[in-house]
Amino acid sequence: MGKKKQEMSQVYGSNEFIFGERGGRGKHLSSFLKNLSLTGSSTRSGEAEDDVNRNIYGELSYGPAQSMQRRSSSSVRLSGRSVSGPVGSSYAHMGVPEKNLSLYSNQSIANSNPSLKKSTKLKYKDLDDDWDADLEKVDEAPVAKTTKSFSNSNPRYDNQMPVMVDSLYPDLIPVSQPALPDKDSMDYEDLKMKMEVSRLNQLNSKYMKFHKVLTSDANIDLTELRKLSWNGIPQELRALSWQLLLGYLPTNHSRQQSTLKRKRQEYAEGINTVSNIDLDEDAANANAEASRSELSLPSTTSSNRDKQIYHQIKIDVKRTNPTIKLYGYPATQRSLRKVLFLWAIRHPASGYVQGINDLVTPFYQIFLQNYLWQLQKKRTGEGEELFIPNLLDDNDECEKAILDDPQLARLSADTFDPGRLSSRATLIIEADTYWCLSRLLDNITDNYIHEQPGIIRQVGDLRNLISKIDVELLQHFDSEGIEFLQFSFRWMNCLLMREISIPLIIRMWDTYLSETPLGFNSFHVYVCAAFLIKFSNELKHKEFQEIILFLQNPPTSGWTERDVELMLSEAFIWHSLYKNASAHLR
Amino acid sequence: MELKSYDKYRMSFAPPTTSVKLVLLGEAAVGKSSLVLRFVSNDFQENKEPTIGAAFLTQKCTIGERTIKYEIWDTAGQERFASLAPMYYRNAQAALVVYDITKPASFIKARHWVKELHEQASKDITIALVGNKHDLVEDDNDGDDSSLRKVSIEEGQKLADEEGLLFFETSAKTAYNVNEVFVGIGSKIPEAPLLKPQQPQATDGRIDLSTGTAPAADGCAC
Ligand SMILES: Nc1nc2c(ncn2[C@@H]2O[C@H](COP(=O)(O)OP(=O)(O)OP(=O)(O)O)[C@@H](O)[C@H]2O)c(=O)[nH]1
Ligand SMILES: [Mg+2]
Repeated sequence: MGKKKQEMSQVYGSNEFIFGERGGRGKHLSSFLKNLSLTGSSTRSGEAEDDVNRNIYGELSYGPAQSMQRRSSSSVRLSGRSVSGPVGSSYAHMGVPEKNLSLYSNQSIANSNPSLKKSTKLKYKDLDDDWDADLEKVDEAPVAKTTKSFSNSNPRYDNQMPVMVDSLYPDLIPVSQPALPDKDSMDYEDLKMKMEVSRLNQLNSKYMKFHKVLTSDANIDLTELRKLSWNGIPQELRALSWQLLLGYLPTNHSRQQSTLKRKRQEYAEGINTVSNIDLDEDAANANAEASRSELSLPSTTSSNRDKQIYHQIKIDVKRTNPTIKLYGYPATQRSLRKVLFLWAIRHPASGYVQGINDLVTPFYQIFLQNYLWQLQKKRTGEGEELFIPNLLDDNDECEKAILDDPQLARLSADTFDPGRLSSRATLIIEADTYWCLSRLLDNITDNYIHEQPGIIRQVGDLRNLISKIDVELLQHFDSEGIEFLQFSFRWMNCLLMREISIPLIIRMWDTYLSETPLGFNSFHVYVCAAFLIKFSNELKHKEFQEIILFLQNPPTSGWTERDVELMLSEAFIWHSLYKNASAHLR
Repeated sequence: MELKSYDKYRMSFAPPTTSVKLVLLGEAAVGKSSLVLRFVSNDFQENKEPTIGAAFLTQKCTIGERTIKYEIWDTAGQERFASLAPMYYRNAQAALVVYDITKPASFIKARHWVKELHEQASKDITIALVGNKHDLVEDDNDGDDSSLRKVSIEEGQKLADEEGLLFFETSAKTAYNVNEVFVGIGSKIPEAPLLKPQQPQATDGRIDLSTGTAPAADGCAC
């Protein structure tokens, strides 16, 4: 066993740093880094590695030598989410899924890294050993033991947040239950069933954790909310969580109502000031008018500029998500036009840029969905503590009609006609959408101003990143004459919304919104790198035309949340490794 | 290393077709992507998503004895993306400058594109001026004031004559005149323009080879 075991723990150690809940395996991390730098630029790799190590250890707030002894102590407080293995924590229940994810992820990383691939494949089985061994170690931690007996005596509460446990460990508790079988008896079917059970438990447990954070007495703990949200937000709590993460909804419960009231009012006033353009008009006449005057008049008067912007928005809203029923309704299109137009008028440096019409849709859809969810809950009389304030109104006739709809429980934003909403509810959903969109775009204003310098920089960063992570792919692209702008401009301009389906984009935004600073700018570049590298092996065998054709229509239609989460966790690794090493990247 | 020698192989036994790099330019929503979709897939979609950056497509087209393979860059029309355009027209041998005959502003924009191409693009680039959405004015009486047509056929022809362009009015929706544009361009492209300067001695043999072996089957309907 001796030597083999040692190698094993190295491979596993790197996994654990990446996906484990406990984090802080400095020693193994450095061996992981060595593997990485094999594919990076050879001349600088040593230097870069040092630097990268420094960055990571710096963040962990302790050195590699201490990590082993600290690990088993329950009182360790690590600095923030970055070390607690964001994706791992959502798969850590019962241990099984986590292990599964680790292996899978390691393989997908290995795809881009031949040296890792070999070792992963060889050691697949042995990883189990090490993994089990590690669980035992954790089991020895005094706090985990306490909770174990707690869980046993109260099986119903197994999946609730174990209140007395250090927040770094919550997901480990179910792992230490006796339910974990002997590894010999763990056949495949068994494993599959356990994974399903674990998935359901995990959903429930996740909900309870969010519930606890979102309903806490005084201020909502944003750090805690970010930590949870990184791994995905339960559908019902998404609107509320997003508004908090974006800083639109105050964390202080007592300030929420007044703030929302003011913001919604401001939006309404904004719309009134721009409605000299008839936002409701649908006729082509007024348009033809506008175009006619463009020819004779110099197009410098501001109202003419506004008309052009509105015209462009109108065309594009019609062309937004044409395959989803919601976006075909006139009421949806009208709302999107208003939100986009007001934003464009208020941000003259960028104005309206194509692609922003895509970015508005997740907010609109989520807030509409939340309205329906709140009505569903209202009818069953539960969940009110998680409502977004001032959204429902007992005097709203349209609302009453929806509440009386026998189909209410089955209404979903995908197919709901927002024409059924009162103008009051419509305005609220538009206002919330507007402010959240504004906050998102505040992070990427450079992407939409003249010459789009933000996007040019991001595309350059992506290229540099690939030169570090997958130099072979970069060389292949260079030899085929592929320019990164040719395929990744759109990835930046539309935040991958043309490449990945809306439900999965919404899941990605949970993570983006949990990053500080928000992930729409620099973290997104790492996600794009992970996205590209997913296809690395295929791309290396293609020529120019095939590459371009492949990348402008990448095979993501069969993707599930799992695919996206793997991509996010890979992005997280590269981000941890390289974010402060940009001097080396350039 | 392998790639290099493979490339050489491709050069000396070149595919039996002439490749033509073609770029589409024009204001947003004039129908560039729709024209390409009609040409490549003989299809039309009412609400096509706006193009971001540019889209790449290829299509073969047989014109008499020759098979031309179009390598098409369909660019985004919005002004904000205009700074990307040079990357796409830099090496192009042909360009379609598209406007919407019901949108006068798009015709002004087309003038600008023609000017920019003459100044910045390759000297021997073949340009076609294309007035799209002809279906919208089909039933109209041209002199009629209520007509949707805002750019007359004469205006288009005049600009084309002045600037030495091919000129077409088309409809991506009904397919009217769409293939004619690409045939017209193809006929004006000199034969094997890329290969001649490099390997003049191989010309005859290759052309025999190409006409002998090239199945023109997947070409366009022209
Ligand atoms: N009636 C009619 N409509 C057309 C025609 N060609 C395109 N359209 C419509 O015009 C709109 C814009 O078409 P696109 O092909 O997306 O225009 P584009 O020039 O590629 O636009 P950008 O990608 O934004 O630059 C779509 O709604 C099309 O359905 C046509 O020949 N007749
Ligand atoms: Mg287009």
